[in-house]
Amino acid sequence: MTPADELLRLAADLRAEARPGLTFMEVCGTHTMSIARYGLRELLPAGMRLVSGPGCPVCVTAMADLDRVVELARLPGVTLATFGDLIRVPASRTTLAAERAGGADVRVVYSPRDAVQIAADEPDRQVVFAGIGFETTAPTIAASLLEARARDLTNFSVLSMHKTMPLPLKALLELGETPISGFLLPGHVSVITGTACYEFLARDYGVAGVVAGFEPHDILRALLRLVRQAAPAIEIEYGRAVRPEGNVVAQRLLEQVFEPSDADWRGLGVIPGSGLALRPEYADADAALRFPVRLEPPLEPADCRCGEVLRGVTDPADCALFGVRCTPEDPVGACMVSSEGACAARYRYRGLDD
Amino acid sequence: MCLALPMRITAVDGVLATIASAGLEQRASLMLVPDARVGDYVLVHAGFAISVLDEAEAGETLDLLREIGAFAPDDGDEADDAG
Repeated sequence: MTPADELLRLAADLRAEARPGLTFMEVCGTHTMSIARYGLRELLPAGMRLVSGPGCPVCVTAMADLDRVVELARLPGVTLATFGDLIRVPASRTTLAAERAGGADVRVVYSPRDAVQIAADEPDRQVVFAGIGFETTAPTIAASLLEARARDLTNFSVLSMHKTMPLPLKALLELGETPISGFLLPGHVSVITGTACYEFLARDYGVAGVVAGFEPHDILRALLRLVRQAAPAIEIEYGRAVRPEGNVVAQRLLEQVFEPSDADWRGLGVIPGSGLALRPEYADADAALRFPVRLEPPLEPADCRCGEVLRGVTDPADCALFGVRCTPEDPVGACMVSSEGACAARYRYRGLDD
Repeated sequence: MCLALPMRITAVDGVLATIASAGLEQRASLMLVPDARVGDYVLVHAGFAISVLDEAEAGETLDLLREIGAFAPDDGDEADDAG
């Protein structure tokens, strides 16, 4: 059976077995991209909805945090190292890309280890890594911070804006704005966390969850598992990568370097305990403490509905700005900038994914 | 942002591994998967291996990825490389 035949067979099973009116939420930007890219909505049973959730790390970063990153990048002597997703995201009054064009030293790195190497190569620069990402990414920042410390690189620090995944799902269910029959749970977050942290979804809210991989087959297989559950439960479809207990080494590293903190989510507001702050033992490498900056009040872009899109309440195409005043080339909101944002994914594959 | 690709370890030097996939070779840290060995398929995220894959399943996925064109050359824009 070719991969295409296999996809069609899975889609046929879904159509045969799904009861009407199901809405599933994917909470990982990479799932959002995969669903759009392979046109999976075309294959779904009539009436089944897939909505995006708060799973794109750049998109859920609050405006005040983006403003702080910009202010750090502007400081003399500071080299701001970041993943590429962040540099075009509009802060209140500018972007990192605009600041870079204006002379700020902003460097895109593939790995936080590359930022540590910059600190080693350029001892007269203060290298600040913009720590954005969920449980998948945070251990790589923790490991890099320890590497910098082992190499006595006192000019490396981290601005931790990391967030953790389970609590926003709880916040969404508590809000109750979107009827969610089940979650496609994030594959690479779950590689680290395992599945115990999601059990409350089924136990306390009666909502199912299946950890899914990122190939189109993975996503349809995970949907089929959600449809077939007799009682809500948490399952793993992505068994080739995800163990129920997660990556224990990475969990220990997270525990060693970070502690839970309150985090501000675009669209959801402050969720207590949903962020990761550096522990006091690592205060010397905490860029927020090392470089205190004064921030102007944040400004949200007028008419941007990114916050509602991130809660699954508003479809990207229902935003008046979508594709008119807001495009990946000239984005108004974060969800159109990041390659994994729901708006960017929908726009890039428009015609295939609507 | 949570993008991670399956790649095969071809050499190990301390905590660093040389990893390869589809003709692409790079270095990755094994700090998060200390039990990984030469020949293992690992998922690589932001320069770190984060999970050791079952070899048969990873091989199947790689075949699938090639067949559906997931390694198409139009995927290299800056926004896609974000870990």
